[in-house]
Order: sequence, then C-alpha cells, then structure tokens
Amino acid sequence: MKHSQRILAVYIFLASVGISGAFVAFAQAASGTQPQRIISLAPSVTETVFALGFGNRLVGVTTYCDFPAEAQKLPKIGGFMNPSLEVIVAKRPDLVIGVSSATDPVKAREMERLGLKVTLISLASVSDILSSIKSIARLLGNPAAGENLVRNITRQFEKVKKRVAPAPRRSTLLAVGLRPLVAVGGKNFVDELITLAGGENIAGNAAQPWLNLPDEYVVARAPQVIIQAGLGSDRGESAKHWADLKSIPAVKEQRVYIYPSDKILRPGPRIGEGLEEIARLVHPECFAEAKSGPNKGSGCEGSRP
Amino acid sequence: MKVLDRRKMILVNGVLLVLLALSVVGCALLGPIRLDLSQAFQNIFAPNPDAEIFFRARLPRVLLGVAIGGGMAACGVVLQALLGNPLACPQMLGVSGGASLGGILGLIFLPNWLLPIAGGLLGEISWVPLAAFLGALLSMMLVYRFSLFHGRLHPYHLLLSGVIFNSFIAAIIMFLNSIVDFYQAQGLLFWLMGSLSTRAYLTVAFIWAYVIFGFLWLWAKGLSLNLITLGEEAAMQLGVETGALQRQVFVASSLMIGAMVSVSGMIGFIGLMVPHAMRLIIGSDHRLLLPASFLAGGIFLCWADTLARTLLAPAELPVGIITAFFGGPFFLFLLYREGRRKLTL
Repeated sequence: MKHSQRILAVYIFLASVGISGAFVAFAQAASGTQPQRIISLAPSVTETVFALGFGNRLVGVTTYCDFPAEAQKLPKIGGFMNPSLEVIVAKRPDLVIGVSSATDPVKAREMERLGLKVTLISLASVSDILSSIKSIARLLGNPAAGENLVRNITRQFEKVKKRVAPAPRRSTLLAVGLRPLVAVGGKNFVDELITLAGGENIAGNAAQPWLNLPDEYVVARAPQVIIQAGLGSDRGESAKHWADLKSIPAVKEQRVYIYPSDKILRPGPRIGEGLEEIARLVHPECFAEAKSGPNKGSGCEGSRP
Repeated sequence: MKVLDRRKMILVNGVLLVLLALSVVGCALLGPIRLDLSQAFQNIFAPNPDAEIFFRARLPRVLLGVAIGGGMAACGVVLQALLGNPLACPQMLGVSGGASLGGILGLIFLPNWLLPIAGGLLGEISWVPLAAFLGALLSMMLVYRFSLFHGRLHPYHLLLSGVIFNSFIAAIIMFLNSIVDFYQAQGLLFWLMGSLSTRAYLTVAFIWAYVIFGFLWLWAKGLSLNLITLGEEAAMQLGVETGALQRQVFVASSLMIGAMVSVSGMIGFIGLMVPHAMRLIIGSDHRLLLPASFLAGGIFLCWADTLARTLLAPAELPVGIITAFFGGPFFLFLLYREGRRKLTL
C-alpha cells in the first residue's frame, strides 16, 4: 500500500505541475496575441487603433497623425512615406501596422529582419477599410470591438443611403488641388463614397485613383456639384477658380464647395461621417429639416419644383 | 562663316511661321474632348460648353505653350553660345530653382486674405506665379553677383554657380516638402512637375510680353553671339564688347526664364534639344538660328502639350514627361552622331 500511495502522490504532483505549466503557457500565449506596444505608420491606422479603444497601447505614430487630439502627443516615428527605422526599433514595438500601398516595402522587410512583427493592411476600397478595421481588432485581441465599429460605420452608411435614395444622382467632381487640377478617379474609396452619397464621380471611369484632369474634360462632363476637399495644397478660392466656366451646372447653380476635411479623404474609421459630409454637399435638400412631419416634402426628389 | 542669305532667312522663318500657325489651330482643335466648332462660334458670350472648351480651356493654354516653348528654345540657343557649352539649358542658370522656391513658398506660406490682390494683378486666383517671379529675380541677382569676378561675368563661374545654386535650392525644396502636411506635399510635387494649364489670358499676355521683349533683345545680339562662339578672345579682337554682351544676354534670358517658370513650372528638354536640332538643320548663324529655334520650340511644346492632354485621357500627363520622352533619345542620337562625325573627320 505504501508503495502505491507514493506512486499516487508522485502522479498527483506531476499532474498538478503539468496543469499549472499548461496554464502558464496558455496565459503567456494569450498575452502574446495581444500586442502592448504598437507603432502605426499611417494616420488612418492611428485613428482605427484609437477608435477600437487601444490608443494607450500606441508607442509611436507618424508626424501626420493628428486625430484624435491625443495622437498628436504621442512620440513621432517620422513621416507617412519615410518613417525612421531606428526610431521604430528603439521603441521596441511588438506590432508595427502599415499600409500596403504607402509603407515602403523595403523598410517593412528590414523591420521584419530585425525581428519586428509587421502587418500591412490594404485601404484601396471601402470594403478594404472595413475589413482592415476588423483585422486590426483581431490583432489587438478584441475582435468584438472591430465588429462593433464596423457595424456603426455600416449603420451610418445605411442612414445616408436612405436619405439620398429618392434624389436623382448628381454628377460630381471632387478635387484635392486646383493648380493643377487633381481629382478623385476610379478605384479609390472616395469614388465609392461619392456614389454612396448619391453622386456620380465624373472621373470615376479613370484607371488611376488620383488624376490630373484637364479643364476641358470638366467642361465637357458638366458636373452638377464641385467639391474641393484638398487641405491647403492650393488655397485659391474654388468658386472663383471656376467662375469663368459658366456652362458648368455646378457653377451656374452655385454648387461649388470648399470642404477641407480629413473625414472625406482619410481611409479610417471616420468614413461614415465623411460619407455624410459628402452627401450633405451633393444633396443638401435631403438633409434640410422637414417643415411639417418627417414624410412631408423635404424637397429631396430633386428637380421637382 | 557664310554671309546670311536673305532668301534663306525668309524661307526658313516663313515655313516655320506657317507650321506654327497650323499647330496653334490644330492643337486648339485636338484634345480628349471632341469639339463642335460651329457650336463654339455660334454664341460665344452665352454659357456654351464648346465655346468654353475652345476659348477658355484650350486657346490660352496653346498660346502659353507657344510662348514658353519658343522662349525656352531661344534661351537655350543663347546660353549654349554664351557659356560655350553644348549642354547649357535654361534650367542651368539657377533662375529656375529660385522661381520654384519662390512659387513653393507662395504655395505654402502666403495667407489667403492676400489672394484678391494677386487676382487684380495677374488675373489669377493664386499668388504662386507672382511669388515665383520674385524668386526668379532674386536668384538672378544672387547668381549674377557670384559670377562676377573683377567686374566681368565669367562663363565658368556662371555655369557653376547656377548649377550649385539650383542643387542648393533643390535641397531647400525637399526639406520644405518633408515638413509640410501630406496634401500640401502632394500639391507641391504636382506644381514642380510643371503644367501649361491656365485659363487667364492676362497671364498669357504677361508671359508673351516678357518672352517677346527678351527675344528681341537677344536677337539684336545675333551677330555678336556668332562671334562669341569663336571664343571670347577672338570675339574681343573682332570688336565685340564681350563683358557687356554676357551681362545683357544673362539678364535678358533670366527675365524670360523667370517669367516662364513662374507660370508653368519646370518644363525641361526644349531648351536643350530644339537649339541643337535647329543647328543641324539650318546651321549656327544666330541671326537665323534664334528666330527659327523660337518658332520650332513653340511648335514642339504646342504638340507635346496636346499629347499630354490626350494620351491617357481623361488623365493629363505632366508635359515634362512628353518633352523628356522625345527629347532624351533624340539628344542621345545627337551625341552619337556628333561623336561619329568627329571620328570620321
């Protein structure tokens, strides 16, 4: 009996060691999937991390990361196109998030070689933006937060779509610079936002996401709305710039707007708000407060007198 | 050197003038958008897309292209003679760098409330051209001062100080580019690439005034330029006041380049390529070479800009891509030919 008791004791001891060992390993694995020191290589990524509630884990952002206000106080690792490798390495991050079209692939490879975990996300389309929010949430160990945020954005989209649904599509030019004229082309999430807002991008059939348009093309396509969304690349007054081309409906009907805001141009969690901003410019009548009751004559049906 | 043949002078310039006139009309008719000319001329003053495309979007642009192509080519001719260097071109004087920096400073720093004043002065909504022109004038004075030795403008010093000044300015521009915000940086790069896009006839008239004034000034020096290509000392012995000639050519071409760059940005290769091409075709008598290069440069840029507008329609290419794309191989061909001719001599 003594012998078997001893065996049992040894067995229990070993088992408990094994279990606790497994526990430790599990705990380690769990914390390992949750990066604590994140570096963001793009303003939209910074916004996403903050929107998911993990802003406190950011240890470095780019000099262009200005939203939310807390992001401006974080240590800078350089520009959007030219982050500093040594500053990044010195921060000892356990996750670096960049953007596949903007982050220098050579630098990304270099970081990986130095043992950093680097993830590049794609932000070319609205669905890319939404899935990147989810994948960042997954990387940070809180997939539910990602699902929530995406649901909120989709809800904002639905709200806007419902608002502008009765209105006829308005052809729209969205420019970011005037001299030369740089416009949103096709294969660009802003082009999708214009469509969702009840507009039709006059350069939407272009192969380039951003393109330099000649004036004659704008005259020929006769946009009904012109939005200049650039941030100071040209601070000339948009309305004045177009004033001599009176055959353009947007000029004739005074629908030339300057809207210098990141919400429209930044592929981050604020695209829902950005969509509403665009829709308010393309179809202001759909957002005018109804005079009597919600269903009575908001004027949204467009050309009706 | 042969005596200038009056008949050849009239023939060459006449042919080029006719070609230029045809090019202006042709380029104003061609573009990514098909134009209904009868519509354009029917009611010019009512809001009419065809008229706006022809008279607003295209014609000023084509006229600007002729002035700038011609001006660049003429400057190239005289600078190659003045500096005794076949590689000399308008981009080398340092003036272009100064103009770019001025324009960029205007783009970034000039406050919005000053805009209406610029509108009154230039018919433009932007301060950029004016700031660029001021930058060109300032850099002209600086380069001039640094190239002056014992009261004489020395070609080597002029060339070197121009090139070094330009690379210094390029460093400042790249520095500014890395401190401004993302969208400003994009706008800045687009501006640097150069474009003939304009709808302001007042701007076009301003450029034409500078270009014609500078061109006539240079043309009047045609004979002296012929002599200076024989070498400075030879020219001096033949009675050319080389010091005065160098100063005048420098000032005239700098003013032209400054005005041109301030509106269109840097459009390369015309000033390098057209003069060499014309030398091959009509010889190197500057009294003929100068007007012929002016006309040929105008024709070339006119068509290059039309290609830039149409090739990737609706997108517009920077016109510098077209001029360099055709200019680069052509220049290599010239070098090859030149080398072979020397070998067979």
